[in-house]
Amino acid sequence: MNLWLGVSVLVLVALTLLMVPLWRARNLSGQNAGLSDGSGLSPPVSTASSSRRWLTLGLLGSLPAATVALYLHLGAPTILQEQALTQAHAAYDTDAMVKALEARLKEKPDDAEGWFTLGRAYIVLQRPAEAEQAFARAAQLAPKEARMRSQQAEAIALASGSLQGRPMELIMQALDMDYEDEKALELAGLAAYQQQQWAQSLHFWRRLMKKLPKDSEAYEEIGRAVRIAERKVVEASGLGERARLEAPEKPKAPH
Amino acid sequence: MIPELGHVALILALQLALVQGLAGLLGAARASSSLMALARGAVVGQLLFVLAGFLALTWSFLVNDFSVMNVAEHSSRHLPIEYRLTASWGSHEGSFLLWTLLMAGWTLAVLIFSRRLPADLVTRVVGIMGLLSFCFLAYILFTSNPFMRLHPAPANGRDLNPLLQDPGMVLHPPLLYMGYVGFSVAFAFAIAAMISGRLDQAWARWVRPWTLVAWSFLTLGIMVGSWWAYYELGWGGWWFWDPAENASLMPWLAGTALLHSLVVAERRGALKVWTVFLALAAFSLSLMGTFLIRSGVLSSVHAFALDPLRGLFILVFLAIVIGGSLTLFARRASVLRSARDRAGAAAEFKPVSRETAILLGNVLLLAALATVLLGTLYPLVLDTFDLGKVSIGPPYFNTVFVPMMVPVLLLLGVAPRLRWGKSNLSVVLKGVRWEALAGLVIAGAVPFAFGAFRWQAALGLGLGAWMVLTTARSLLTRWREAGFLSLSALGMGLAHTGLAIGIVGIGLVSAYQSERTVTLRPGEQAALGDYTFVFRGVTEVPAPNFSAMRASLELGREGKALDVLQPEKRIYRVSRTTMTEAAIRYGFLGDVYVSLGEPLPGGAWNVQLYLKPFVGWLWAGALAMFCGGLFAALGARRQTEMKT
Repeated sequence: MNLWLGVSVLVLVALTLLMVPLWRARNLSGQNAGLSDGSGLSPPVSTASSSRRWLTLGLLGSLPAATVALYLHLGAPTILQEQALTQAHAAYDTDAMVKALEARLKEKPDDAEGWFTLGRAYIVLQRPAEAEQAFARAAQLAPKEARMRSQQAEAIALASGSLQGRPMELIMQALDMDYEDEKALELAGLAAYQQQQWAQSLHFWRRLMKKLPKDSEAYEEIGRAVRIAERKVVEASGLGERARLEAPEKPKAPH
Repeated sequence: MIPELGHVALILALQLALVQGLAGLLGAARASSSLMALARGAVVGQLLFVLAGFLALTWSFLVNDFSVMNVAEHSSRHLPIEYRLTASWGSHEGSFLLWTLLMAGWTLAVLIFSRRLPADLVTRVVGIMGLLSFCFLAYILFTSNPFMRLHPAPANGRDLNPLLQDPGMVLHPPLLYMGYVGFSVAFAFAIAAMISGRLDQAWARWVRPWTLVAWSFLTLGIMVGSWWAYYELGWGGWWFWDPAENASLMPWLAGTALLHSLVVAERRGALKVWTVFLALAAFSLSLMGTFLIRSGVLSSVHAFALDPLRGLFILVFLAIVIGGSLTLFARRASVLRSARDRAGAAAEFKPVSRETAILLGNVLLLAALATVLLGTLYPLVLDTFDLGKVSIGPPYFNTVFVPMMVPVLLLLGVAPRLRWGKSNLSVVLKGVRWEALAGLVIAGAVPFAFGAFRWQAALGLGLGAWMVLTTARSLLTRWREAGFLSLSALGMGLAHTGLAIGIVGIGLVSAYQSERTVTLRPGEQAALGDYTFVFRGVTEVPAPNFSAMRASLELGREGKALDVLQPEKRIYRVSRTTMTEAAIRYGFLGDVYVSLGEPLPGGAWNVQLYLKPFVGWLWAGALAMFCGGLFAALGARRQTEMKT
C-alpha cells in the first residue's frame, strides 16, 4: 500500500527529529554531569536517563498510534482505491463498448450508424487512424450523410495535423450535402481562420453559433473565436481603433 | 495521494506542537536538558510538517485536484496559475494554515536568534508558542480542515472570489499575519516572564527586536490592505472604519504602545509591568482580529450558528488565551513588581521626563484603541442579543479617534527632546518654539495655496511639519552629541517622518479631493479640476477567467494629452460576479482616478471621475514606517548582541 508507506515514512521522520536531539542531549548532559559532578545543578544521571528512556518509549509508542488513529478518524484513507476504481470503471466501460461494437460490426458490417459510433469512440480514445477507417466505411455506406464526411475529415486532420488537402475536400463535400452540418461548419471556419481569411471564417462560425445551444461550452468557445476573428477583420480592413470601438453599437437582429 | 500525505503531515505537526509545548514548559520548570532538547527537535519538526501540509495544499491547487473540497470551492480550471498558487491561503482553512506556517517559522527564528539567551527562558517561550500552535492546528484539523475530500470529484471548481484575484489581496494576508504572529513572540516572552517571575531590562532588550519586526510587517500589511481598497473598490476610499480594518488597527495601536514602553523598560527599567500588559494585549487583539475576520461573524453574527463547533472553539480559545493571560497577569504582577523592587534597577522618573511623555502617549493610544474596540464590538454585541441593529461608521470614529491622536502626535515631537528621568519643562518648550511656530505658520498659510482654507489640511500640514522638524532636530542633536547616529535612532527618525508624511497625505486628500459622476457618449468630454477627460468608448476584452468591458478615456490638462486611462468592468465567468477595475494615474502631487459605472442606452456610460491630491503620500509614509521599524529592529538586535 503506497499511502501507508508514505505515512510510515512521515512518522519515521517525525520520530527521528525528536529522538536525535533527545539522545544528543543525553550524551552531552552525561558528559556535563561527569564534569560538574556534585554541583547539584542537574538531576542525578540515573533518574535523568531513566526518564529519557520512558520518554523515548512513550513517544515511539504513542506517536505512530495517535497518527494512524487521527488519520483514520479525520482523513479519507479509502479515497485512493475509490478513485482508482472509478477510473478503472470508466476505462473498462469505453473499452468494453468498443470491443462489443467491433464484434457486432464484424457480424453485420453494413451498419453505417454503427461505424459512425465506433469512429467517435476511436476519436475519444485518441486513435485517429482507426477512426478514419471507421468513418470512411460509414461514408461509403451512407453516401448522402454529411456528418460522416466531416467526421472523417476531422479524423484525417487529427492524424496528419493539417486541414489542407483531403480533409478540406471532404469538408466541402459535406457542406454541399448539408450546409448546416456542425462539424463541417466548425472545421471550415477553422481552415479559413488558419489561412487568415477572417471574413470567411466568421461566415462559417456565425452560422454554427446559431445552431449551438446557448450557454453550452461549445457555444461559448466558438463565441470567443468569433470575437477574435471580428477584431482581425476590422484590423485587416484598416479601419483601426475607432471602428473597433464602435463595433458594439451595431444594430442587433431581433430575436 | 499528495493531499492525504499533507493531511498526515498536519496530524504529525499537531502532535509535535503538543510535544513542543509540554516539553518546553516542563523542561524549563524542571531544568531538564532532555526535555528542552526534545522541545527544540519538535520546533524543527513542526515547521517541517506544517510546511509539508501547506505545500501539499498548494500542489492540489496547482494541479486542479477538485477532489480536495477546498480546491473545488476556491479555484477553477479557468483560474490563472498565479492565483491558483495563492488561492491556497484565500480560504478560511488555508488562511489558518498560513498563520500556523508563519507561527512555526517565527518559533524556529526565535530558537535560532536566541542562542545567547538563558536556555530555560527560550525553552519556555518556545513551549508557549508550541501550545498556541497546537490550538491553531487543532482548530484547523477538527473544524476547518483543508484536506476534506470529495468523491466523485466535480469537473470544475467554483472559482476564487474575484476580490481576491488581485496582487494586493495576495500580499495582504501574509504581511498582516507576519505582524500578528510576530506579536506572539512578545506574548510568549511576557508569559514566560510572569511564570518565572524574572523581569529585568535584559528581558525588554530581548523582546524589542521581535516586536519591531512584527510591528513593521503589520504596518505594511495594513498599508497594502488600504491601498487595495483604494484601487479595487472603485471609489478611491482608503479607510472606511470597517470592522475588518479596525480589527487590524487595534493590534497595531497596542503594538505601537508596546514598542515605546519597551524602550522605557529597556533603557530605564521602568514601566515593565505595563509593558507586559501591552504585550498580552497586542497578541490578544491580533487573535481577536483574525477570528473576527475569519469566523464570518462580521458579515453576520449568526454565521457562528452555521458551524457551531467553529464558533465554540474560537470562543473557548480566546477565553483561554485572553482570560488565562490576564488572570496570570493579575496574580503575578505583584511578584513582578516586588522582583523589580528587589533588583532596585528601576530608575525613578519625575512628571516632566521622557518616560512620562511616552507613558502619556501610551495611555492616549490605548484610549484611542478603546474607542475603536467599542465602536467595532458594540454593534456586534447588540446584534448577537437581538437588541437591535446599530451602524457605527466614520462620523463616530472621526470625531472620537482623531482628537485623541492629535496630542499623541504633538507628544511625538516633544518626547525625543526630553531627558530620561527628569527634564525642565520650560527649557524643553523653549527648545521647540521654532518648530511649533513653523508648524502653526504652515498650518495657517499653506492651505490657501490650494485655493481655500480647510481645517483638515491645516491640521495635517501643521502636525506633519511639526513632526518632521522636531524629529530632524532631535536627530541632529543626537548626532552632534554622539558623533554618529545609531540604527535605532535612524529607524525612529524614519518611522516618525513616515508617519508625518502619511498625516500630511491624509489631511490634504480629505480636504481637497473632488469627484464627479458624468454620463458620456463616445467622443464626448468632461472636465474636473484642471483635467479634461475625452471618452473614447468601450471595448470588450476577453481574458481566461473573466471578460472585461474596457473604456478608454484620454486624459489631458491645459490642452496637452497626458495619458489614456482604461477603467474596466469585469464579469467573472464562474462566479458570475461583476468587479470594477479603476484606472489610476499615479502622481507625486496626487492621483487621477476613474472608474466605469453602468452602461446606458445609446452607447453612453456612467463614469466616475476623482481627483485625489497627495493620496500617495499615505502609502509612501507607511512604507517609510515599515523601513524605519526594520532599521530599529536591526539596531535593537545589535544592542542585544553586544550586551548579552
